[in-house]
Amino acid sequence: MRKRTNNYYSLTCSKLALFTVLAVVIQIIGLSLFIVGFFPVKPTLSGMSGLESFYPPAFDSSDLAQNTSALPPEMLKSLYQELSGVPPLFDRLILMVVDGLPAEFVLGKDGKPPPEVFKEAMPYTQSLLAKGLAIGYHAKAAPPTVTMPRLKAMVSGAVGGFLDVATNFNTQAFLDDNLIAQFLRIGWKMVMLGDETWLKLFPDMFARHDGVSSFFVKDTIQVDYNVSRHLTTELSSTDWDLLILHYLGLDHVGHIGGRNSDLMGPKLMEMDEVIKRIHSSVMQTQGTNERGTLLMVVSDHGMTQGGNHGGSSYEETDSLALFVSTQEFSDSESTKEAYQVDMASTLALLFGVPIPKNNIGTVMVDVFTSLKDEQQLRILELNSWQLLRLLQTHLNELGCGRFSCKSAREQNDGPERLCCSYLDATALHESWKSKRSLRSVDGGDYRSTVLAYLEFLGTTSKWLSSRSTDKPIGLLVSGIAAMLLSCFGLMSLTFLFTREVNYKGSQDISHTDNNIRKWHLEENFILAVIFILILSMGSSSMIEEEQYIWHYMTSSLYLILLRKTIQSMKNGSTLTVTAEQRKMRSHYIYSIVAVLVSGRILRGWHQGGVNWSYLPDTAKLLEQAGTAHIKSLQLLSVVLVITICLAVLLTLGLRRHVSMFLVLVYLFPALLILKQILTLQDSTFGSPSIGSTTMIQIVYALLGTSTVGILLGTPWLMPLQNPKTLSSEVSCESPIKLPLDGFGDSLYVIGWGYMFSWCLLQILLQQPINSMPVSLLLLQIVASIRYFSGGNRHHKQWVKVAALYCVGMAGHFGLGNTNTLATIDVAGAFIGISSHSTIISGILMFIITYASPMLALLSMLMGVSADDVRAVSNSQDVDFGHLLKTTLGYPCLVPLGLNSILLLAYSIALLAMRNHLFIWSVFSPKFLYVFATTICVYIGVSSVALTATYTCIVFARRSTVKGSCRGRSTER
Amino acid sequence: MSQVHRQAGTSHKFWSSSSPSSPVLLQPMHQPRKKAPESTNAAAPFASSLKLLLLHLICALGLASAFWVAFNYYSVTLIQNSARTLLVVWAIEASVVILVYSLLRRNPDQCSVIPVFCHWQRLSYCVIFKFPCDNCLFIFFFCLLFQYVKAIVRGLLGLLAGAFVNALGAIVLGAPVGIQHFTKTIHWSLLMSVFTFVPAASVFGSSWTDWHRIFAQTKPLGSTDFMICFPAHSAVIGAWFGAWPMPLDWERPWQEWPICVTYGAIFGYLLGLVVSFGFVIYHNRRQHGKGD
Repeated sequence: MRKRTNNYYSLTCSKLALFTVLAVVIQIIGLSLFIVGFFPVKPTLSGMSGLESFYPPAFDSSDLAQNTSALPPEMLKSLYQELSGVPPLFDRLILMVVDGLPAEFVLGKDGKPPPEVFKEAMPYTQSLLAKGLAIGYHAKAAPPTVTMPRLKAMVSGAVGGFLDVATNFNTQAFLDDNLIAQFLRIGWKMVMLGDETWLKLFPDMFARHDGVSSFFVKDTIQVDYNVSRHLTTELSSTDWDLLILHYLGLDHVGHIGGRNSDLMGPKLMEMDEVIKRIHSSVMQTQGTNERGTLLMVVSDHGMTQGGNHGGSSYEETDSLALFVSTQEFSDSESTKEAYQVDMASTLALLFGVPIPKNNIGTVMVDVFTSLKDEQQLRILELNSWQLLRLLQTHLNELGCGRFSCKSAREQNDGPERLCCSYLDATALHESWKSKRSLRSVDGGDYRSTVLAYLEFLGTTSKWLSSRSTDKPIGLLVSGIAAMLLSCFGLMSLTFLFTREVNYKGSQDISHTDNNIRKWHLEENFILAVIFILILSMGSSSMIEEEQYIWHYMTSSLYLILLRKTIQSMKNGSTLTVTAEQRKMRSHYIYSIVAVLVSGRILRGWHQGGVNWSYLPDTAKLLEQAGTAHIKSLQLLSVVLVITICLAVLLTLGLRRHVSMFLVLVYLFPALLILKQILTLQDSTFGSPSIGSTTMIQIVYALLGTSTVGILLGTPWLMPLQNPKTLSSEVSCESPIKLPLDGFGDSLYVIGWGYMFSWCLLQILLQQPINSMPVSLLLLQIVASIRYFSGGNRHHKQWVKVAALYCVGMAGHFGLGNTNTLATIDVAGAFIGISSHSTIISGILMFIITYASPMLALLSMLMGVSADDVRAVSNSQDVDFGHLLKTTLGYPCLVPLGLNSILLLAYSIALLAMRNHLFIWSVFSPKFLYVFATTICVYIGVSSVALTATYTCIVFARRSTVKGSCRGRSTER
Repeated sequence: MSQVHRQAGTSHKFWSSSSPSSPVLLQPMHQPRKKAPESTNAAAPFASSLKLLLLHLICALGLASAFWVAFNYYSVTLIQNSARTLLVVWAIEASVVILVYSLLRRNPDQCSVIPVFCHWQRLSYCVIFKFPCDNCLFIFFFCLLFQYVKAIVRGLLGLLAGAFVNALGAIVLGAPVGIQHFTKTIHWSLLMSVFTFVPAASVFGSSWTDWHRIFAQTKPLGSTDFMICFPAHSAVIGAWFGAWPMPLDWERPWQEWPICVTYGAIFGYLLGLVVSFGFVIYHNRRQHGKGD
């Protein structure tokens, strides 16, 4: 029998651990491959371009860069002009941004004029175009077509990655090299009127500003009036060099009624009126200025037929770039295509500043037709130098000139070809320069030089932009394959483990075999929940409102468990049920009701999500009621947490002095936190004083040391047998028997310590409004553990772990988290930190955001201990490895497995949705959350596993020592 | 007597799916169980198909007519004025359901001529109501009427209790709790109670075994059980699925609480009626075949 059992138990503890770790490692590899593929990190150049940009890339420019920053603005400006050899065409710029205006409205599409409605709505602009005073471009914008990234692209000429948003979470200011900073450096005075996004991007750079918020989307009038009301004064004043007007109204019109909204005509008319005002005022002042003012009308993105934007369809990316001046442009008739990023280099060269370092755009040559031939070539040359510099950072070894271009021309791809076309262009340029006198009259040489430059610029720009936006599909697929492999591995491990447990169960506890073999309703339901969660990942609105799914599913699961408890009450009428059993049943029902009710309160605490977040909820009511109410709730929740923890500890039935000691250990930090809350009462918005920071640091230290102390000390000090069960159990005098009670109890105490300190930490770190949800969450988890433990043998253990996981995830959203990056509590990440440290505040932010899943994972130590250890005690042939395996199997495998399924499903969804409208606004932030949840599961599971392993090792050593002592005593 | 034994024998298999191993434990548990299947089988034989079709049709038509009345006489629709529509619907459907299911009531003491005669003569009903005591037939009818009224009253009580339970369930699952939603929730839960609790209350009264069998274990026996169990469960499941579109951003008026949940519940209820009728027909056929 024993041999057969051993054969069957092929899945030993070490094998199980090994395979699990292997699967997790494969998952990590797959996940990192996927992330690298999906969020490409392109090399960017730091710093600002200065004087060195007027020299060829090979030129050693280190001292010039230093010079640039040292020079005063006026001198720098004249030096720029001298070096570039191109006089600035204009000296003042009015940048008029019309948010969401599709170029089609002004320029038409495919050579056709715009629709009559729009043409009639903008008579002045159309007349400017017809007279040749304006030149318009379809400036193709790169996704995500939302305002802030597009503004960045316009002023820097670079296409940012998505992770830019995630990496600089604590500042929105734009730190890369850009036009605004370049203008500031040559001493320009700038004025900004309109969307406050500019103020967030460029704080303290504008001499005057009036920011309007794009928050009230329903408002289409006031938001633009607030900009236009300054026009009269600003146009008459002469002190500024750059005037930015950002009109949001048209975008709002689109959001309300789409492209063909009734409001669209009047809004276009209003914009036309503004253009007319500006242009006529520019015409009037023409005489007084030397060179004149350029009006540039641009839009940051287009809009779909329904008025939305964000994606990559033609309607959304078709943005406008319209240059309006007082002189005529040649060739303003034909439809012109460009990229939005081209604006940066064009504006830089128009105004004689260096092109921003990370620019990938090419200059719009049609704007410069009034310049002489050599000046135009110089402009192309400057742009080429800048792009070549950027190219060299992508390809370190690219020297240009080490190889023969003849052979490289045949192979049609790769950076060598770019290099060759650069060399071609420079060679043509040189020859053009040298035969100054012999130039052909028809300008054939000149044209071929321009074409060669444009060829280089076009291909390089395309190559660079594809580097930053293309997603290497091979990398993504291999990442997903690795995750699939690991998911499959974890699933099969879980399956094998379940089969083994079932086999053992049917062997040992023969009378409940039906119960164990049968596939119950709640188990089916959990599988259905997984299926529903996977399905919901395909829909953007379900991702936005994920909190509903988790709460609905968790509550439904607990209602099914309630039904099951009532189901088992059938026997309540019969004689076999003792009063104690009946009492236990009512306890179970109370526990479930507690979970359900606190779950509902948690759901109502923060409305959450995106679409219904404006609806009233408890948090908003409390904030309206004032800080006094919040404070009292906070105190109440501290008391509640302490009470729950005391009650949990007392039910274990330890010796009294042990319990007392444990309570005393935590009483001190708890009191400190109470004091902290009371003192913070007055100065909520004041800067944290040094005293409070020190005190918080003391609390951190106390919580840390007491938790580690409990972890290390408990396994050594815990009596091997629980005094409560010692008398009742008959079989405990067998000498070989494992100290199961002691093992279980110490796991329980350690788990208790983890949970208590985690909750106290959360109360300290979370926003005051969230302290009550933290205590409710603790109540939910304690009630769940109570329901599942204590001889409630109707449930399989994996159901318990899955239910706890669900509670944890539902609580994650109950604490106010959503799938957008906006709800991350950045302020909390600096509590108790005396100096700025990105790593520590990142850790704190992680602790705050993942409070609830981590609590659920840590609580598994407590849940694991009671019944499963007893289940082992029935079987005869157990050793410590087997004990550890039974204890840890499900708490580790089920969260890892569930998470791996969700991670895999979401990665596949992300791959399928990579061209979706909301890929950057909805799907990618959610992926960051899924990623962080995976990290959270790793941390939680590994801490549970390590704690249990440590405890097991200690008990193994203690029992061998005791066994040898006993053996010696019997020898005597 | 032997029939009773056989029945108990066959039912043993049915009941002992989770029988404990020790025979000592098994013994006392058998005592009450012997009676239970017998009583159910005696009280609820499978009725004729035609009668059942009629009963199912009445319930379904009651619901349809309730909507018709609400639309034509009160000119309210679920989307525009959900609270009032729900009020009309539950009121009409409740009266239909209570009246229909009270016909199927299961009383421990059935009225029959001889026992009633012997039993009731000793009682004081005649005195109280001043009926001539020797008129047995009259007393029999009076007994029937009395029990019918009793079933109706039970149904009404069940309506209130069921509304309470349904409202609690809905709120726990996330139904809004604001004052502006209060009347809607009440009317919705009364309608749900009509679908779920009222039939069982009318038929079973407060018999814990029967309630437990239907709602906790979902083991219907006999046509009445089918008629209670299937529509009730599928109404709840339908309402559960009906809540799905609520958080989506489609901006449709029917996404409001409790409109789509009501749609789901009604759809589930009607489906449950069809399924229960199908099951009853199937069982009738099988029993018929067995009898041959």
